[in-house]
Amino acid sequence: MKPISEISAGELAAYVAGHLKQSGIEVVLSGGACVTIWSEGLYVSADLDLIGDGTTPRSSLRKALAEIGFVEQGRQFVHPDARFFVDCPSGPVALGREAPKEIRTIEFATGSLRLLSPTDCVKDRLLAWYHWHDRQSLEQAALVAERNPVDLDELGEWSKREGQADAFEEIKGRLSPPPSRGAGAN
Amino acid sequence: MLQPIVASVSTERVLVFLRARGEGYAREMARFFGTSLRPIQRQLERLEAAGVLWSRLVGRTRLYAFNPRYPFLRELEALLDRALAFYPEADRRALLMNRRRPRRAGKPL
Repeated sequence: MKPISEISAGELAAYVAGHLKQSGIEVVLSGGACVTIWSEGLYVSADLDLIGDGTTPRSSLRKALAEIGFVEQGRQFVHPDARFFVDCPSGPVALGREAPKEIRTIEFATGSLRLLSPTDCVKDRLLAWYHWHDRQSLEQAALVAERNPVDLDELGEWSKREGQADAFEEIKGRLSPPPSRGAGAN
Repeated sequence: MLQPIVASVSTERVLVFLRARGEGYAREMARFFGTSLRPIQRQLERLEAAGVLWSRLVGRTRLYAFNPRYPFLRELEALLDRALAFYPEADRRALLMNRRRPRRAGKPL
């Protein structure tokens, strides 16, 4: 494995997730680091949100991450050599009131990484736009949709279930795939 | 009222206060309930770390509210509404009937 100071966000997330799995803790990558991966690095998050099922005590996470050199600092886990820090928000992974529709797995040289699908990653970003009008999150959603097929019908239905049908109508044009990449949504 | 479930009187106070008023800060809650500040701050921090609340700085004050992304928010709000309905009338009124509309700077009380 490359030195930890040189590995990408995805490689580091896979490495950490693999180690947690060995300790019996299964996690999914969510948040901005998913945007980093699905946008092919156009947006870079320093924060790896690895979310468990909501039943893992913080002390177990602390112990498992300490074994690979991560030290708890406030709410984050920091490694002296890593460019990214690890955050383990309370689970379960949720997109508003719903669980993710699909968890994808990507293989890195450092291991397997489970993460939100592009469509669910867009939902995750849209929540911040819907609730806090965070324009950066809307831009990130657009970046993901620009580079990956996303299921616009599902996004519309989900937005409706979240009470955001009108808000979705206003921004759905930002999420339309480029003309050459419209097939095979999700 | 919710203490058997939430296991801490400070947690109940924080949750009920925020349900009644929409947002608030630690000192305001401690003053309202006539309690010390630290237990309230501790519960606010714990609930934020758990994703139930979110906060933002307004000047030097950290203002808390329910996290709209918390997956069980509707259910929690329904539970708190039921609990509030059973609160003594005077307590409920004090929680709900506070001034939220703006007051022009310099206007006499």
